[in-house]
Amino acid sequence: MDGLEERMLTLRREIRVASAAGDHARVRSLRAELRQVERTWEEAINPPPAPPAPVREHVHQALTLLGVPAAAKTIVAVDESFFSGTITNAKLTSLRRDEERSFRSSPNSRPYYLCAALSAERLSPVRGVLAVSTWPLHRRIIGPLSPRTDLLTSTIRIAEHLQRLTRAGESPLGGFRLLTAMAQNIPGAVADFGPADPDRVITAARAELAVHEEKDQQHRKAVAERAASQLAEVNQLFGAGLRTASTA
Amino acid sequence: MSRLDALRGPSPPVDHNARSIAALAANPACHRRAVLDAAGIDKGKVVQHLGHPMQFGQSPFALIRSRQFKAIVKESGGAHLLRLLRELLGLAVEEAGYRDVEDVDEHAGRALLRKHTEQLLRSAAENRGDAATIVDHPLLKLNVAGYDVYLEPDVIAFQAQGKFHVVVIKTFAIIDDQAETAKVSAAAREAAVYVHALRVLFEQLRLDPQRVSHDIVLVCPENFRNFPTARLVDVRHQLEVLRRQLERLARIDTILDTLPPDLSLDLMMDGDTPTRSAAELGAAVSGIPARYAPECLSVCELAYFCRAEAKACGSLEALGRAVRDDLGGIESVSTVVNLATGAAVPSDDQVAVTERLRYARRIHGEVVA
Ligand code: SF4
Repeated sequence: MDGLEERMLTLRREIRVASAAGDHARVRSLRAELRQVERTWEEAINPPPAPPAPVREHVHQALTLLGVPAAAKTIVAVDESFFSGTITNAKLTSLRRDEERSFRSSPNSRPYYLCAALSAERLSPVRGVLAVSTWPLHRRIIGPLSPRTDLLTSTIRIAEHLQRLTRAGESPLGGFRLLTAMAQNIPGAVADFGPADPDRVITAARAELAVHEEKDQQHRKAVAERAASQLAEVNQLFGAGLRTASTA
Repeated sequence: MSRLDALRGPSPPVDHNARSIAALAANPACHRRAVLDAAGIDKGKVVQHLGHPMQFGQSPFALIRSRQFKAIVKESGGAHLLRLLRELLGLAVEEAGYRDVEDVDEHAGRALLRKHTEQLLRSAAENRGDAATIVDHPLLKLNVAGYDVYLEPDVIAFQAQGKFHVVVIKTFAIIDDQAETAKVSAAAREAAVYVHALRVLFEQLRLDPQRVSHDIVLVCPENFRNFPTARLVDVRHQLEVLRRQLERLARIDTILDTLPPDLSLDLMMDGDTPTRSAAELGAAVSGIPARYAPECLSVCELAYFCRAEAKACGSLEALGRAVRDDLGGIESVSTVVNLATGAAVPSDDQVAVTERLRYARRIHGEVVA
C-alpha cells in the first residue's frame, strides 16, 4: 500500500517535470502508468466482491450444517442466519428438478446432488424437502418419527455450531434467534425469556432424542434396505417415480 | 345421469366443506339450499348472475394469512402442535409420530386419499404402539341428506393416549386468554362437523366412536404474533344440534320428488360467462321452496336473492324468527298491517294477536305524536 502511494507521488512529480520540459510523449506514457497504479490502489482498498456462490452450494452448505433433510423454509432460515442469505424460496423451487435433470443426462458427474427425502410408505419424494445425495440412504427416509428426530438432531447441530462460533469470539444474533425458534417446541430447552442457551438446548434435545431415536433408526434402515433393493439409482435419489423431471 | 347432475348441468360440482354443512344445518328447513348444495351447484355464481352478489367470504389477504399460519403450526412434523398437546393433554413424549395422508400420492384422487385416511386412523386406533399420532390432511366422507360429501379438513386428527382429537387452526387471535366469542363458536360448529364425521367413520370401522373426543383443539395465534397457542373447546352442544339437524333434514330424494321434473339450474356456461337468461334462472331457483330468515345473511350465499324475494312477497319470515313467532299464524306483512289498522277482520285464532297489534299501534301513535 505504502509502496503504491509513493509510486503515485513519484509519477505525479515526473509528469509535472516532463510537461514543463514539453516532452509530450513521456507525459502520455507516465499518465498511463499512473492510471494503472491508481486502479491497483483502489482495488487494494475496496477489493471487488467475490462472485456469489451458486444457490446449490448455499443449499448444500445449509443442509450440511443441519445434517438432516430439511424444508425450504428451514434452509432459507439457516442461510440467512449463518451464511450470506442469498437463497430465496423461489430459487429453491426449481432446484430439485434441475438436479434430477442433470443427474439423468449424465449420472454421477457431480460430487453431490441436492435430492429428495423419501416417504417411508411410498418411497415417493416428500414434498418441499431437500437432502444431499452423499448421505446414507436411511438418513433420507422419512418415517412417522423422523420429522421429530430430524428436528431434534438439527437443533442440536445448530446449537453446537453456535458454541463453536462463540468460542471463536463471534456471536451471530440471527443464529441465536434461529436456535430459540427451533428450541421453543422442545420441552425444557428454553427459559421463558431471552435467547436460548446452546448447552441447555443440547441437553434437552438429547433427552427427547433418546426416546425416539432407536425406533426411528430401525424403521428408516429397514425401509432404506427395501429402497436400495427395489429402486434404480435415480429413484433412490429423487423418489419413486410418479412425477419425474422427464415427465414434469 | 342422476337427477342432481341433471339439475346442475355440465358444470363440475362444487364441494361441500365443514362450513357449508354447518350452514346447511343452520337452516334445515330450507329446501332450496338443500337441493342446490346436494347438486353441487355453485351458489356464488348463481346469485351473481341473478344480480344479488354475495357480500361475504374470505378476502384473498385472509386466505394467504390462514395458509401461512397453518404452515407454521404444521412445520417440522407439527412441532408446535406437539408442544401444545403436551401442555394441553399431557401427551406422552413417546407420542410424536407424524403421518401425512397426502404423502400417498401427490395426485391421488379423493377416493384413494379417503381410503388412506381410514387405514392410518384404523392402524393408529388398533395398535397403540403404532407411531401415527398426528394424521395430517385426513379426508373424510359424510352422508348429508342422502348425499355423500367429502370433507377436506386441513385439520389434523390427533391421537393422545388412545383418544382422537380434532384440531382446528384459525387465524383470529387469542389476546390475554380471550378470543371473540362469535368466532370461537363458529370454529366450534365447524369442528363439530369433523368430530361427527370421524365418529361416523369409527362406527363403520367397528371402533368405539367415543374414542373421538368431544373436546376439540383450537389453535390460534397468541397476542397478534404468529406464535401458536391452543385451547380445548367442548363441542358437545354443537354436536347435538348438528346431529338433530342432520336427521331432520328431509332426505333429498323426497324433496326432489316435489319439484317439476324438467327443472334445471344450469347456468349454461360458455367459458366463464353464463348464457342463460337471468329471469329464467331466477324463476327456476324460485321454483324451489325456501325459508328465508335474517340468519341466512351470515351463512348462505343466496341470502340477498332470498331476502329480496321474501320482501317482495311480504313474507313475515324476512323479519326474523322472533317476529314470526310473536305473530304466530299470520303469513304476510300486509295481513299484519290490515289487522293492526282495522282494515281486516281477524279470524278466531287471530283475535289475540290482533289485540296485541292494535295495542302496540296505539302506544306507538302516542309516542310519535
Ligand atoms: S338464503 Fe335462501 S337458500 Fe339460503 S338458507 Fe336462506 S332461504 Fe335458504
